[in-house]
Amino acid sequence: MELSDKLEILADAAKYDASCASSGAPKRGSEGKDGLGATNGMGICHSYTPDGRCVSLLKILLTNFCIYDCQYCINRRSSNVPRARFSVEEVVKLTHDFYVRNYIDGLFLSSGIIRSADYTMEQLVAVARQLREVHQFRGYIHLKTIPDADPLLIEEAGRWADRLSVNIELPTHDSVTRLAPEKNVHTIKLAMGSIRRKLDEKAEEPKAPSFAPAGQSTQMIVGADASDDHTILNTAETLYGSYKLKRVYYSAFSPIPQSPRSVPAAPPPLLREHRLYQADFLLRGYGFTASELMPASGNLALDVDPKLAWALANREHFPMDLNRADASMIARIPGIGLRNAKRLVELRRLRRIRWEDLSRLRCSLKKLAPFVVTADYKPAQGATDSSILRRHLADAPQQMNLWPELQAA
Amino acid sequence: MNPADAVLQGQALQVATFAEWREAARELLQAGIPPEAVTWGSPGDGGDLFSGAPAPAAAPHNAPVRLQQPKPAPHQPPHVPPHVPRSLLDMLQAAACYREPDRWAFLYRVIWRWQQGEHDVQSPADPDGARLQAMVKAVRREEHDMHAYIRFRERPPEAGPPRFVAWFEPRHDVLPQVAEHFVSRMGKLSWMIATPEASVLWDGATLHNCGPLMSSAADLDDSGEALWLTYYRSIFNPARVNASLLQSHIPSRFWKNLPEGALVPSMVSQAGLGARRIGQVQTVGRRSGATIPIAPEAAQPEREQPSKLDECRRCELWQSATQAVGGEGPKKARIMVVGEQPGDQEDLAGAPFVGPAGKLLDRVFEEAGLDRKSVYLTNAVKHFKWEPRGKRRLHKTPAQREIEACHYWLEKELAATKPKVIVAMGATALKSVLQQGNVTLKDKLGRPVRHGDSWVVTIYHPSYVLRVPDEAAKQEAFKVMVAGLRLAQELLERPEITEPDTAR
Repeated sequence: MELSDKLEILADAAKYDASCASSGAPKRGSEGKDGLGATNGMGICHSYTPDGRCVSLLKILLTNFCIYDCQYCINRRSSNVPRARFSVEEVVKLTHDFYVRNYIDGLFLSSGIIRSADYTMEQLVAVARQLREVHQFRGYIHLKTIPDADPLLIEEAGRWADRLSVNIELPTHDSVTRLAPEKNVHTIKLAMGSIRRKLDEKAEEPKAPSFAPAGQSTQMIVGADASDDHTILNTAETLYGSYKLKRVYYSAFSPIPQSPRSVPAAPPPLLREHRLYQADFLLRGYGFTASELMPASGNLALDVDPKLAWALANREHFPMDLNRADASMIARIPGIGLRNAKRLVELRRLRRIRWEDLSRLRCSLKKLAPFVVTADYKPAQGATDSSILRRHLADAPQQMNLWPELQAA
Repeated sequence: MNPADAVLQGQALQVATFAEWREAARELLQAGIPPEAVTWGSPGDGGDLFSGAPAPAAAPHNAPVRLQQPKPAPHQPPHVPPHVPRSLLDMLQAAACYREPDRWAFLYRVIWRWQQGEHDVQSPADPDGARLQAMVKAVRREEHDMHAYIRFRERPPEAGPPRFVAWFEPRHDVLPQVAEHFVSRMGKLSWMIATPEASVLWDGATLHNCGPLMSSAADLDDSGEALWLTYYRSIFNPARVNASLLQSHIPSRFWKNLPEGALVPSMVSQAGLGARRIGQVQTVGRRSGATIPIAPEAAQPEREQPSKLDECRRCELWQSATQAVGGEGPKKARIMVVGEQPGDQEDLAGAPFVGPAGKLLDRVFEEAGLDRKSVYLTNAVKHFKWEPRGKRRLHKTPAQREIEACHYWLEKELAATKPKVIVAMGATALKSVLQQGNVTLKDKLGRPVRHGDSWVVTIYHPSYVLRVPDEAAKQEAFKVMVAGLRLAQELLERPEITEPDTAR
């Protein structure tokens, strides 16, 4: 099989994984050195595909042969799809050739399970080792960890890779047991725990060999089972706390050809995935807890973003005086982001904050108007209750029309 | 001529680079010349630069191609206007790359106002500040876009260096910074980036600045590009098509120079024609498939059987814990030490007392002359109970029903080990060992009691010692723990007592 045929199949097979970040690696460069590659900690998106997702890494599977039968996965063993397998050298060469043309920032390598978890993991590690040792590649490498693999292999993977990830796959134990019969949440958690322990050890001993400096992440599939956003966010919060993950990625379930009956035939609205990312960002950056964002079971509202939904449900904190409030509370005002919250606090050391400042900072004025007090502005108080306010501030009901075919499918 | 004198004579000041502007601005500031009095121009506007000054650094557009050694960074005199902070200087330097006729005049107005004490000139809430920030942002954005959207094409080796050539049409003067990025990225490979205004060439060791060497990307060809296009087509999931998001990420002016740009329209329209219903693109979907002939049981990975304890669902704590943590020590240990529950570290390691509390406990053991390996160490509750606090896990005391649910496992350990002395560390352990919900630590501290065939000695939990803020109290609590372990050892030597236990 030609290399381009393999690439077509194995890139197609990898596109269901949402994560594609190249940030967090330590600064490296190749000036005056043999080999190739640099990282600046930020990561670069080199292109975008028509689904609006960025291409920052060469994201492929080593092989889409798989002995597991995960129902949501197109590569499950019972699925009738074209199969292919790259050799280690082929992946190395592709990575190198793409990198030097500035198409990518590095490699994101995953694989179907072939023979055994250990054998598969050995192959993934071999690619990373060859890139680093033989080709002096200093770009970004993200390896998907096979949870059942020997901890020594995971340790070696962490030596070559910038980031390791273990997919939690689904938000609950029951769903994993049902939809991914060969997978096991217990071993997934153990693998995440062993990575965190190595990261902690490395943090305590700066001179130890490098171990996954960009940390670990995971992915959860949304909409393949009946779990609601309340469950999903609680699972995410548990994972963040337990394993110090850098990111939890949410991937809306994509219907697959010859879909098994155990998974839904229609995808969840993509907006749901978007709301989860917004909520996740509030967990990581703003100090919200899952129970604040989703106090009861159910899904996040689709018509308003999670921060606005929280503000509407907690009117007692508002309107908030921008000239007095805590920086962390200012960041909780809808329409004011983390950076503008910081800027406002800096500005008010110089003078009192006025309405005009908010417009100069390009805050979302419509959104924040009912929630702030400035030196020269006060919202009409008590006049509007939350439900009226919500109708006024909600996104236009465009979601239903955006993908009519999808909704009908 | 001194810039200040030139201004006083009514001449326009011509600057081409930030370094030159900075030099001129410093002299003007020192001479106290306000922005309104200065006319700034760029070379090419006519007129020469300061008489006697060296030619501008940027090669004129029509200059013959000539490889130059990179100029050493212009000497930066230490006495810049004394109190301009680094952050402002960086912003000015970035804004100087913004292509706009009045950029030098604007920068001078900013620095003049700063010098006058108007420090919010840097803030986005000030009109000039907002403009400055917008310029900086646009320049940084252009740098970023150039880092991202430059595409190198490989030239055949027989054509000689440069091996890789890229064409780009930047909106602002960011080529020098961007070249640095690729120097760091490409190692010893040779490459060139051509733009309509200028080019940079890296020969593997040195960077050369040249005038324009190409006028378009037309004569660049690279057979390796086909693989990239294959990848780009295949990594797109038509089920998620969202063309407007695409537009917002890559403005249309870049598409014509991106090899994948030509693919986008057909990909979007195919997605519209039903391909979006399923994820797989048609090219792959049309190939013949293969299922993997393997029986489900053969696919089951070999993994250690989870212990019965791991499978415990007697309460809800297992949900958020990594694993159950059982006891550790000799099966027939004569002393059993019972703690509260595993903590963050224990939860990850699967062994009791390996975290900070465990380290403290080791010191207590040492002080009491007791070998940790000779005792059976366990916890009253086997799963870590916690609540999130940012990205940390904050220990939470187990509820009575959780202690009761978990007593099942402690009971098994007690039955198997049959210790002569049980050391209960803290109230949770005491409640579980004695099976009394209302017992308090204070009642039993320092007073051994009989429980079944064993003695129960109560001491503080090591976490309590770690938590006590006051140093004296810490010492005191530590001593209580040591005394308790010594007492436990003494009790081992004591003959079996027959009289009823009065302390209970």
